[in-house]
Amino acid sequence: MSPTYPPDREAAGRRLLDAHLHLLDRQVLDTDSVPVTAVSDLEISDLDSGEEIPRGTAPPRIEALLSGPVFATRAFGGRPPASRLHRIAWSDVSSVDVVLRLRVRSDSLEASWGERWVRDRIIGRIPGARHDPE
Amino acid sequence: MKKFLGLALGILTAIGGFADIGDIVTNTVVGSRFGMSLAWVVVLGVVGICIFAQMSGRVAAVSGRATFEIIRERLGPRAALANLIASFLINLLTVCAEIGGIALALELASSVNYLLWVPVAAIAVWLVVWRVKFSILENVSGLLGLALIGFAVALFLLHPHWLDLGHQAALQVSFPEEKATTYWYYAVALFGAAMTPYEVFFFSSGAVEEGWKRQDLNQSRANVLVGFPLGGLISLSLAATAAVVLLPQHASVNALSQAVLPVAAGGGKLLLAVTLLGIFAATFGAALETTLSSGYTLAQFLGWSWGKFRRPAEAARFHLTMIITILLGVAILLTGVDPVQVTEFSVVFSAIALPLTYIPILIIANDPQYMGDEVNGRLTGIFAVVFLAIIIVAAVAAIPLMILSGAGQ
Amino acid sequence: MILSELLTAEVRGDAPVGFVVDVRFVVDAPGEPDRAPEARLYGLIVSPHAKFSPMGFERKDLASPWPIAQIQGWLHRGSFLVHWEDVAAIGRGWVRLRPGFTRYDARLPEEARTLDEDW
Repeated sequence: MSPTYPPDREAAGRRLLDAHLHLLDRQVLDTDSVPVTAVSDLEISDLDSGEEIPRGTAPPRIEALLSGPVFATRAFGGRPPASRLHRIAWSDVSSVDVVLRLRVRSDSLEASWGERWVRDRIIGRIPGARHDPE
Repeated sequence: MKKFLGLALGILTAIGGFADIGDIVTNTVVGSRFGMSLAWVVVLGVVGICIFAQMSGRVAAVSGRATFEIIRERLGPRAALANLIASFLINLLTVCAEIGGIALALELASSVNYLLWVPVAAIAVWLVVWRVKFSILENVSGLLGLALIGFAVALFLLHPHWLDLGHQAALQVSFPEEKATTYWYYAVALFGAAMTPYEVFFFSSGAVEEGWKRQDLNQSRANVLVGFPLGGLISLSLAATAAVVLLPQHASVNALSQAVLPVAAGGGKLLLAVTLLGIFAATFGAALETTLSSGYTLAQFLGWSWGKFRRPAEAARFHLTMIITILLGVAILLTGVDPVQVTEFSVVFSAIALPLTYIPILIIANDPQYMGDEVNGRLTGIFAVVFLAIIIVAAVAAIPLMILSGAGQ
Repeated sequence: MILSELLTAEVRGDAPVGFVVDVRFVVDAPGEPDRAPEARLYGLIVSPHAKFSPMGFERKDLASPWPIAQIQGWLHRGSFLVHWEDVAAIGRGWVRLRPGFTRYDARLPEEARTLDEDW
């Protein structure tokens, strides 16, 4: 029988997040509860060089939530070039629950450019787009 | 009256599942060929959709998450993508069929050629999706669609031999001209039609649109327990009227005009007019339901902002998806294909989408992280697992049956 | 590094040991206001036989629906947590563990699972 989780003084009483269970494929809402995107992947600070990791090295951190074209590589494998990643910095996340909430507004994120483009170029040009439904 | 209107979501969802143009024709075809011997499938379907719609409504009310958001979270990108593609195709084919159905109903009423009505119907559907508030949309379509009860009224006016109908339903009558594979193909098709995924997508998204919360759980339950049995009743009436009028004459149903013959026979012109209004409203409601579902599924899968409660400018990609769906539907219709035949193909995609839709719902409905203490009770849990097994069997059998029976020829 | 490359990576000690099915992070206590606490890699969940996600059934409190829980339990039998200290190297699609690594219980402990909180 495996021992219980490591007697790690760092982890005692802290929140544990499992990537697959709590973060991946979750809905992201901005500070006004407007949906932004779904998390397709996570960016973690440097680490897959293949070289031996010296003992005592600090573990990697979550740097950003990723969405956009990375969906295809998440589903089918591979890695998209860094320039095609839509990043939401981890420091913009304000809470993790059934959804992920941000402390910034959707419009300020590159992840929402698709929505803004469709709004400005297509939908926004149809009469009635900016009225409440009646 | 307000309480009654509060049930509109359930009624409208049920209409899309049990009384859209595909169902109207399929049920009357079944009645004219098999009498009531497939009635058990309708009952089974009603119980099944009640269980799953209730779970998805509960999940939406307690956690605020609509069904397709959950599908991606639990199944992961690849399986969820397979479901998305299948569901999107079902939605598209159904939207196409419904717009065609609206045009057919208008043609029956006006004698103006149906192809001319197609663009009119499409624009009407889009205008409602674009501008009309969700609650008005569901109330009007739901209530008017209930005029399909005209089929049940016609049934009584036809003074049928109830015992004969009962014998058929209890499988004590055989139909020698029909093959067993055809019988089971229609069984799977009727079951799939009763439990089509877009019903739960629409119901759970509608629950979010209505802003249902924990305290509205009873309302959610009432919607399910009133709406779907009513839908099932309409289905059974459709089959029964056909069984009474068309079966003895071995008359076949190939067009909407033939499907409504029994109503005319039973109740004359007035009842026919009311029923046509019901067909028009039900088909229009189903068109709205499936168009909105196409928007809901794609937007929820990709995490876009969605919902009729938002201004179109604030849910731009959601509305663009629906516009494209309607345009594609019209394009398919303008090739001259029979809109009702189109729904035959969606049985195939349902076979894929059904299990991939219900497994995630079942998992989340049991998950305390989402549901707190509103997780499935023991009884619900057992029934849900039993139905999941039935769904998987139906899904696996659908395509072979379709091939073996020549899609019911 | 992109996380999805770690998921389903093959894990080896002296011999192949399994696949990474999830990656566990520990979140710092909230520090300065308006600054999100860091989330650091805590360990890897390794499943000896199966590559894909246990769908949440590795938690203590998710046991229904019964057939699915049983299937997931069987597919992921013998799953364990490897602590960061025992990770020797990470490459594209593989992970090597230090000799003598410890297999910890993979289940999420109750007290560390508080949700519904802002940092």
